[in-house]
Amino acid sequence: MMIRRTERSGIGEARWPFFLTLLLAVVVVAVPPIFGHAASLFTFYNALQSTACLGLIALGLGLTMIVGEFDLSVASTYALGGMLAVKFGGGSPIVGLLIGVGACVIFGLVQGFIVARWGINSMAITLGGSLVALGITGTLGDNKSQSYENYDVGVLLNNPIVGLFSLRSLTAIAMFALVFLLMNLTKLGRGMRATGGGRRASRTAGVRVDAIITGSFGASAGLAALGGVLQSFGTATATSNPGLFPLIFAVTACLLGGVGLTGGRGGAWGIACGSLTLALLSEFFSTLAAAQYVSSLVTGSMLILVTVGASPLIIRTWRESRARRTTAVPVPSAI
Amino acid sequence: MSTATVTPVTAVTPKARRSTSSRITLGVTIAAIVVLIIGTLTTDGFYSLANGKAILNAATIVGIIAIGMTYVVISGNLFSLSVGVTAAVCAMTFLWALNYGMVAAIVITLAFGAIVIGLQGLLVGTTGANPIMVTIGAGALQEAVATWVSAGVSVYPPEGAIYAWLAAPLFGIPFPVYVFIAMTIIGELVLKRSRFGRSLFLMGESPRAGRASGLSIATLTTGAFVVLGLCTAAAGILIGAFNQSGTLTATGTLTVDSISAVLVGGTAVIGGRGSVLRTAIGALVVSAIEDLLLIRGFSTPVQLLVLGLIVSAVVVLSQINSGRSNR
Repeated sequence: MMIRRTERSGIGEARWPFFLTLLLAVVVVAVPPIFGHAASLFTFYNALQSTACLGLIALGLGLTMIVGEFDLSVASTYALGGMLAVKFGGGSPIVGLLIGVGACVIFGLVQGFIVARWGINSMAITLGGSLVALGITGTLGDNKSQSYENYDVGVLLNNPIVGLFSLRSLTAIAMFALVFLLMNLTKLGRGMRATGGGRRASRTAGVRVDAIITGSFGASAGLAALGGVLQSFGTATATSNPGLFPLIFAVTACLLGGVGLTGGRGGAWGIACGSLTLALLSEFFSTLAAAQYVSSLVTGSMLILVTVGASPLIIRTWRESRARRTTAVPVPSAI
Repeated sequence: MSTATVTPVTAVTPKARRSTSSRITLGVTIAAIVVLIIGTLTTDGFYSLANGKAILNAATIVGIIAIGMTYVVISGNLFSLSVGVTAAVCAMTFLWALNYGMVAAIVITLAFGAIVIGLQGLLVGTTGANPIMVTIGAGALQEAVATWVSAGVSVYPPEGAIYAWLAAPLFGIPFPVYVFIAMTIIGELVLKRSRFGRSLFLMGESPRAGRASGLSIATLTTGAFVVLGLCTAAAGILIGAFNQSGTLTATGTLTVDSISAVLVGGTAVIGGRGSVLRTAIGALVVSAIEDLLLIRGFSTPVQLLVLGLIVSAVVVLSQINSGRSNR
């Protein structure tokens, strides 16, 4: 006689990213001494600093992935937000922050509206959007990096708090917490996952699919821009072209954090863990004083690995093998 | 976020398909003519033989890669975001391989390009992995390995290597232009007349229907990426021959230029529709626009901005026109 175990809830899936982060933290502490190097509290402070900027891009991208779309323009809005903040925040950083994030939110909403209204492939439309944002950033910055003269803002943002945190990382943590709460305590999270899981069924069930998709793109651009603003203010420099690294980081962090490529799965907690894992990995190589290309080699390989790991074939194979395992638990029959 | 959006496929008659195709061809041609007229009327020096050659030269490299990209887009696998890096690495490979002679260098580079991009196609085709992410990851890997192998310095050809004719004029026209024309003709014929080409259209239009009719998605996807690899390698060879040195930064905006050429040429971003011939015209339009902006003193970011607006507009119009929606 066979019995069927109940399906695990999504909480189980979110455990893996956390365990992976813990594992990386242990590796960062334990491995460098073998090679004559040592990690310190500052290593973890640095990892949190990276997570503060790049993690926010991942969080934004992750929201669009949860609703079954993909915002390729996050790296560009990250640069645009930072450039706008530096250009218009000379007098007041708050004004720079509001303009940087506000303009990008509007930009994201326009992209989201186009995707929702006409059902256009989001990767294609955000590729165009990415070029537009990059073009505006480069034009504003005269195709080079721009410095921010108000160094006090950077000092304020980077000043260590309890040796581990800073205002920059605490701001990012607050954003992750806000998204976590919104997705778990309000209807929004259910609506987003439903939209990603099955758009037509969600629409029939009364979920405001178009508004959710549009809003996700607005949030994505806004969060990426906030990451850019924190980075620009923190380093007193805005870059004109960040390259593909922020996008690679964000995608890999989302996939490591359990965000499904087909939508409907994932959350802020997993993305935070994924981002911290990657940031710790980067710090690990820094601690070992490895060449820059080693880090790129590992990041590129990881992106391909997690993409293949999240592919339909692997997911199907894994589900089938799990189903075989769970349905094949024998129960002693009553005599 | 499906890479090959599954949509209800309505019965499209061959006549209707031809009509849509003719409309797109007409639209692309009109766009090309409009750009030429605006450029001629508003910009000194745009309408000149020297500038015409400059546009043709730029369109050649973009166009050759875009031919391969057309195969990938038609197959329903969106596009590759690492062709710029691969072209740069191919240029470096070609210049290094000249140590073994001209023919060997060409063969090695073509094989290298086909294998590097073909492997990405194999991964996408067999597992259904997202092509954008696989190609971004592969781009980062290639960059890292190239930096490692070359120690971050430029690659130069061996002393006395005979290869400069690859970038030199022949009967007054640069040799790469002949390569571009030949590849356009071959690319169009293979796409429209061969079983492989027709299967790509079917797979791009509806992967389910393709699978049901016995097509091997893995083989076709790998095939489309191999074609892209060959085209990228060919472009890399020409870039290496022209620059006479190979660096990772040599290809600039080549990736987005080639994608733009494909989209401006009216190839449907969700697959199943497209033409190499129109892509070639698209490459000319993109190069002419960039040239126009350059002559008028606009910087690279402005060119990116304009390209982005064009890509967005084309994607929206193309999708509305196709009637295939993800809603």
